[in-house]
Amino acid sequence: MRVIIAMLRATWRAAASYRLATVFSLLGLAFTVVPLYFVAGALQGTMAGSIQDEGGQYFAFILAGLMATTIITEAVSTIPGNVGSAAASGTLDSLFLTPTPAVVLFAGLSAYGFLWTLLRTALLLIGGAALGAPIVWTSVPQALLVLALLTLAYLPFGLLMTASQIAFRTSGPFMSGLLLISTLLGGVYYPVNVIPSWLRSLAGFVPLSYGLRAFRKLLLEGVPLASVWSDLAMLSLFAVVLGALGVAAIAMAFRYARRTGGLSQY
Amino acid sequence: MSTAPGERSTPPQAVLVEDLHKRFPSHRSLWQTLRHPTRREWVESLQGVSFSVARGEFFGVLGPNGAGKTTLFKCLTGLVTPDRGRLSLHGQDVLRSTRLARAQVGVVFANERAMNWRLDARENLRLFAALYNIPVAEVNDRVEALLQLVELTDTGQRLAGTFSSGMKQRLSLARALLTDPPILLLDEPTRSLDPVSAGRFRTFLREQVVARGRTVVMATHAAEEAFGLCDRVLVLDRGRVLAIDTAARLADRFADHVYRAWIREPGHPALGVAGGRLLDQLTTHDGWYVVEFPDCGTAQDAAAVLRRLVAAGVEISRFERMGLSLGEFLERIVAQQPKATS
Repeated sequence: MRVIIAMLRATWRAAASYRLATVFSLLGLAFTVVPLYFVAGALQGTMAGSIQDEGGQYFAFILAGLMATTIITEAVSTIPGNVGSAAASGTLDSLFLTPTPAVVLFAGLSAYGFLWTLLRTALLLIGGAALGAPIVWTSVPQALLVLALLTLAYLPFGLLMTASQIAFRTSGPFMSGLLLISTLLGGVYYPVNVIPSWLRSLAGFVPLSYGLRAFRKLLLEGVPLASVWSDLAMLSLFAVVLGALGVAAIAMAFRYARRTGGLSQY
Repeated sequence: MSTAPGERSTPPQAVLVEDLHKRFPSHRSLWQTLRHPTRREWVESLQGVSFSVARGEFFGVLGPNGAGKTTLFKCLTGLVTPDRGRLSLHGQDVLRSTRLARAQVGVVFANERAMNWRLDARENLRLFAALYNIPVAEVNDRVEALLQLVELTDTGQRLAGTFSSGMKQRLSLARALLTDPPILLLDEPTRSLDPVSAGRFRTFLREQVVARGRTVVMATHAAEEAFGLCDRVLVLDRGRVLAIDTAARLADRFADHVYRAWIREPGHPALGVAGGRLLDQLTTHDGWYVVEFPDCGTAQDAAAVLRRLVAAGVEISRFERMGLSLGEFLERIVAQQPKATS
């Protein structure tokens, strides 16, 4: 824990030296939520029927989708992104030569990004509520639990891409492909039930579709946690199965990189 | 000397490398891969490298780019797995007990970006203190002592990115010394430094590291640096060990022979007798011609040549030993290698 805090502090110190970027990142949230509010308002009549089971208000529906997408994007991109930039800047060798285990290094490298994303997600929630999204505040802790499970379900994709980054110095086009598929089939902008049936069956392989359904039901309808147990079970299954694959891929990538000399930057 | 039962013997060598081999697949274009998908081409990076470094020794690994120095260092630190061979650091096998072996070394990379540029020197060292699991109570004292050692105390709060190359290298050295390791691996520590900063860094190494008796293995492509700092030098070229000897003996055998004299009369007969040859008849330095003596021998022999020239009435403004380029140095070593019998 001490290492993660030290790395978090160091990343914060480094990030704080770019003050303007921090301010613009927060301002950017306002420019995301406000247009969304107007667009969602304009489409409310069209979408109301199909989202009846997930709150009924299109602005709140899409706000929840945006929050979940922000979280999964961070889960998928933060570790490979940070490992890639540490390799490019030359600090990765120094980190791997310390006795700190790789898993702790990954956690330390990503901690700041995750906290920053949590803050941005919280601000989205508050901004959305201020604009009239019907948030069930008593269900927020349960909704956060779903977001945590969603993160765990998507983190293994990040590990797979980190493995690719370690072994081949690139995570390839997989990250954008995965996020695109998740957004298209996961029900971010429209409920899964409106997509054609042949595509809907594919949505079953997208963890976001389970996570987002449960998240909306909890956050916008305040249903009891037990009523979304099947979605939570699917998310857990994704997390365990993909997690095992991700860990195995990382171990293989390290062995491959040590053999081919690709582990270090120079 | 025997070891009592249950007592762990202390290996005499700080670093032991035995029959180290490493080859990498060579880069192939997409067209080559499509034409010959199963063909593999390899670059032999290390070919049977063996050496040992005694405790407290300053050991140099001299070689041009592509000689295998960095691969050797990567193998020593466990960042690259060799194809064959054995490596140990203070008795710890690098391949079997990588973590224990790594604990024996501090590493300074050629790449000065090994530190976080957006943090100040103190923050950088504190971060690595946590990564190296140095007890919290000791961190501040150790960081301050190291900043003092590398003469960065006054600049400890400046962002590392604003440091000069020399300061960055000294900061990297401070990081390498955080755990007070018995062995230091310096991978071309002066590569990115200008000659003045490189000279200062060498002086610093001599005064603060060599004098303290730590085992140091330093890779360099500068012959003068290797001979000026190291007790022994291993010469590496294309993954093979060309020579390994004390720096003094290697310099005496291969590098100390060329001298140049700045003279007024290029046609003076004494010059030919002493084995001198005019470098360029048309170029003078304010009327002084440069004559090279390619095989003067040792410093004593050179002094004798100088005495004879002066006695013969040759007017000389400068007489100095020339640093050999690494290329010339390697050529000389190769030329003196015993020819392989077929």
